Amino acid sequence: MSSHSAEVAADFKDALQDLKLNSRPEISNLTIIAKENTEHAQAISRELETHIRTTRPEWKLPALYVLDSIVKNVGTPYTVYLGRDLYRTFMDAYVIMDSGTRKAMEGLLKTWKQPVPESMDARPVFQPEVTRDIENALIKFRTVAVQQQALSQRPGMQQNMPARPMPNVPWGNTPTPPQNVPRFAAPNDPRVRQPFPPAQNYGQYPSTGTPPVQYPAVQPSPQPVSSLDLEQLKTDLAKLIATTKDNFASNPSNVSTQAQLKALLGLETILRTQTLLPQQLEQIRNQIQLSSRPTAPTPAFAPPVSAPAPVIPSPQPQPLPNFPPALAQLLANTRPPVPPSSTPVPASLSLADMLRTVTTPSQSSSAPPSMPSFYSHPFAPVPPPVSTPVLVPVPAPAPAPAPNMATPTANLAQLLARFNPPAPTPASSQPVPLPQFLAQLPPAPPAHGSAEWLLNALKGFGTSGTPVNSTPVASEPMTRQASAPKLQNEVELTTASMKMPRLHLISRLYEAIPNICVTCGRRFESTPQGREKKARHMDWHFKVKDPDAAKRGIHRSWYISEKEWVEYQEVDETSPDQVSNGAPGAAAVVKKATKDKYVSVPDIALGRAPCPICQEEFKDHWLVEENDFVWMDAVKVNGRIYHATCWEEYSKGAGIATPSTPDSVLGKRKAEVSTPASGKKVRAY
Amino acid sequence: MISLPGLNLTSAPPELLSDPQSTLTRTQDLSANTEYRFEVAFTRSLTIRLLSGTAEFFGTELAPSSAYTFQGTKGAIYTWHGCRLEIVGEAESEYTAEETQMMSYANAHFALESLREKSLHTGDIGPRVLVVGTENAGKTSVVKILTSYAVKFGRQPVIVNLDPRQGMLSVPGSFSAAAFSSIVDIEDGWGSSPISGPSPVPVKMPLVYHYGLANPEEGKLFRPLVTRMALAVTSRLEEDRASRQAGFIIDTPGAISQGKAGVYENIEHIISEFSVNVLFVLGSERLYSDLTRKYSNRIPEESVSVIRLDKSGGCVHRDETYMKQFRQAQIRAYFFGQAGDNALGPNSQMVDFDDLSIFKIIEASSEHNSSFRPGGGGDDDDAYSSGIEIYEKVTPSSMIQNSLLAITTASVNDGQEVIRDSSVRGYIYVADVDDLKKKVKLLSPQPGHTPPNAMVLGSFPEDIPGLVG
Ligand SMILES: Nc1ncnc2c1ncn2[C@@H]1O[C@H](COP(=O)(O)OP(=O)(O)OP(=O)(O)O)[C@@H](O)[C@H]1O
Ligand SMILES: [Mg+2]
Ligand SMILES: [Zn+2]
Ligand SMILES: [Zn+2]
Repeated sequence: MSSHSAEVAADFKDALQDLKLNSRPEISNLTIIAKENTEHAQAISRELETHIRTTRPEWKLPALYVLDSIVKNVGTPYTVYLGRDLYRTFMDAYVIMDSGTRKAMEGLLKTWKQPVPESMDARPVFQPEVTRDIENALIKFRTVAVQQQALSQRPGMQQNMPARPMPNVPWGNTPTPPQNVPRFAAPNDPRVRQPFPPAQNYGQYPSTGTPPVQYPAVQPSPQPVSSLDLEQLKTDLAKLIATTKDNFASNPSNVSTQAQLKALLGLETILRTQTLLPQQLEQIRNQIQLSSRPTAPTPAFAPPVSAPAPVIPSPQPQPLPNFPPALAQLLANTRPPVPPSSTPVPASLSLADMLRTVTTPSQSSSAPPSMPSFYSHPFAPVPPPVSTPVLVPVPAPAPAPAPNMATPTANLAQLLARFNPPAPTPASSQPVPLPQFLAQLPPAPPAHGSAEWLLNALKGFGTSGTPVNSTPVASEPMTRQASAPKLQNEVELTTASMKMPRLHLISRLYEAIPNICVTCGRRFESTPQGREKKARHMDWHFKVKDPDAAKRGIHRSWYISEKEWVEYQEVDETSPDQVSNGAPGAAAVVKKATKDKYVSVPDIALGRAPCPICQEEFKDHWLVEENDFVWMDAVKVNGRIYHATCWEEYSKGAGIATPSTPDSVLGKRKAEVSTPASGKKVRAY
Repeated sequence: MISLPGLNLTSAPPELLSDPQSTLTRTQDLSANTEYRFEVAFTRSLTIRLLSGTAEFFGTELAPSSAYTFQGTKGAIYTWHGCRLEIVGEAESEYTAEETQMMSYANAHFALESLREKSLHTGDIGPRVLVVGTENAGKTSVVKILTSYAVKFGRQPVIVNLDPRQGMLSVPGSFSAAAFSSIVDIEDGWGSSPISGPSPVPVKMPLVYHYGLANPEEGKLFRPLVTRMALAVTSRLEEDRASRQAGFIIDTPGAISQGKAGVYENIEHIISEFSVNVLFVLGSERLYSDLTRKYSNRIPEESVSVIRLDKSGGCVHRDETYMKQFRQAQIRAYFFGQAGDNALGPNSQMVDFDDLSIFKIIEASSEHNSSFRPGGGGDDDDAYSSGIEIYEKVTPSSMIQNSLLAITTASVNDGQEVIRDSSVRGYIYVADVDDLKKKVKLLSPQPGHTPPNAMVLGSFPEDIPGLVG
């Protein structure tokens, strides 16, 4: 990228940063920049993609409208550059949106399959291959979502989805603005693009009350599975359950039989209550057949130490595999991310867990747990490719607390995810990496419809604050990892003990806290609490990402005093009181209680004058929301600072209006930021 | 006092050399349990990005695909699982090391975790750790690793820095303590103390004292300050459950591990004031055996586990030139922040001579030195606190130009011990002294009023000419 290109891209980025609404002039302005700088189209496209990927969920749609406006009004080369990764750009945003925004996006997609209205060019906006991939994914996504909904028995779930609704954005009335700027028309361009009529509905979708989008019946997989007899499957399953029950009855203390039984019953519930894709049925059938066979206590092979070669970002989506590798093989090759010895079984087993349990020979419960944890890498390590597979006994199914059958919500998708591994390589020769972690592998754009992608989609649910899982959350332990098993005296505090290799413990630093923040590297547990914390943590990242900060002259603050330090309570950015409760953008202004008013510590012009009414000195408090020292219970009136309470008392009779706390760096978010419970203690990030 | 905010302040950063070579991008594959060691000059920069796998920098994990830029840094990217890095820029030296001490440092962490688990039940203070060792043995690196791992485990340890040669969350010449509840900054030493705006990595809240000398073995300040800090940290742990359970870790200067005839007065003083119960000795066999002998036969309540940790082969000697640049960079960062998006805008102001009450530390002559009672037993600080002249009051003159003044929390009328024991609000820099007009141009971290408190001037850190360009 030439330096000029970088400059243009930076300008474009600046303008994008300000785009928070579906604003016609701003979108039009961005389109003009793109139009006038087609020689830098690549850099601009990259910037736009990055912005859509990284900006807050509620700002993604306006940015997508920019994309839409550019491809329709400018066309090539943007259609080429943006088309390459459109799948990812679109889907990454789609999965974290609320249903209203999703509809709007579906509306956009629909128009991309058509020619630009009133254009002489009859070709669709984007190449059919590009849009088709997205459509396939949408079908799959909806299937999963519907099933999740069915499973979760929480009809309101869609509305509770992560992304925040944007009540203030009147997209029904403001489609991407028609571009009437005359110079847009380049008469000699064969692909001349006329402004499309505003009637082209964007946001007001569905405008006619007809069902959303008439999707062509695209099968996610060409494999015909209609021959599968659902009833037969149910019968087989029932038989298997009966046998397992017998086994369990004759040996009630066998934990693994018990777990197996629970898993089978879970499967049965799913079969009964849901409409599954033929593929899924096929896989379940295979599974049942496999489980019905008497099993020998064979140790399974863990994935070889080396995971697959680094996934190189490929602009071309990979083809869907024709035949998904056998589920059993996949499962055999997939270890849970945490060592079985060190992690309590989550309250609700995932379907994948269930299936694994089903296949695990009960005898294996006696297999000694070795150190599989170290070999299940959080990321696919690249070098060196070790070809010797490491023999690791199958971890015994952890003695499970009864899996909560009502809430295996994430499960089906996990199962689904395993249907479409990233590449159609036979599982036996290519180890399947832990998809959860692969999903975090930044340089690898998940292949469409791949396991990673679906898991990503599910992650989206988790990270955005609404735990998919409705398992009740236990009261917050004091430390973030109190749930981790104890180390006890595993590592003695002696010089000799320091030298002993204990690689298995390293999983405590990685796999046990699998949910990494890609911005800063902080990790979170994959528990409901962990997800909540991560959501608040991500919110914090957004909060402090202030593009204008540099211009405002930030300075170092004075250190706090000894007394303040002794009394100081660290505030973790993931603790609940750091986050606003209201939806961002909501206009509701919460009136602050008088004593919660504050002013920034004044500069020299005012000095540190005491309150003119009571003559008491003000004390500096570190206020997290302002990221600055402030005086609490203070108002500024006519250039002087009073205690807010003193002033209120004084002004009661006089009818003088009390000024409100000045706008903070956070702009309108300020209104919903909770005020500190106590002015006593200073706080910081 | 007049505030002159518009004085057009720019820091004078070392000029970045840029040549086409230095922007070459390369990838570096690391296999599990190895590290990529590098040294980058202050005039260059090296940007490292994790492409795949996992990697950590002194215990803090690199976020996938984030770019980390290092300048004036000697360090290592370690991987437990193998990784691929993308590296841009020019290193003075770089190589991959197969043999590291990370397993033993991780073991040290896990051993401390066992103690923390216990303190969760007993309610007692968690492990009280002291790290000693000769210069450049890797003490600070180990403290960082232990801190990062503890934070990753959701702990909130208090970290205490008693090494004046290198500040923690503050300038050199200071001692500080801070509880770490958020990740340790990768690019910026220990991270940043609070600033008036958003910070991309959560800021840390330090308690800062001014020591003002280079060597802890001289002068009358080291031990009383240790006593004072022990008091503050202990009080904090009374109130703060999370930190209480996590305990604290103390980093020290190499000088106190020198010892005199096998006696280590300052180490002993720290151990007794902070009730240290875990002592990590880095490197030196001799130091280890001396300290083991001293602490092995104690009654259980006062027992100290003395553990030797091997020195990492990556530790490099840092010569005076490097250390000086390092200190200047720390001071510059205090006022100006990190270059780029995280820049800070300090404030310049003109004050009258009368506005400044400067207390200069009297440097101990060799005779003064002998006033330390040999053999330690410095449990009571009265022995060296009453009636001793610690400071002399000085009027501003060109002598103080380019130096750093510590603004204490003590009033100008307070006794010398009070001034000595008081924490500092911050530092100001004397940019210019006009002897004729009796005016001083100061650089203050923030606009407004500099507190009219007692200010302390020490001989360390040394003058920093040209901080304001
Ligand atoms: N494994 C490593 N690879 C590369 N550099 C390292 C490694 N460990 C430490 N260093 C570097 O070696 C130098 C000395 O390490 P460190 O500062 O931890 O030692 P120290 O004992 O604290 O020194 P001092 O006595 O000066 O306080 C530092 O610059 C540090 O970054
Ligand atoms: Mg050190
Ligand atoms: Zn983060
Ligand atoms: Zn008042």
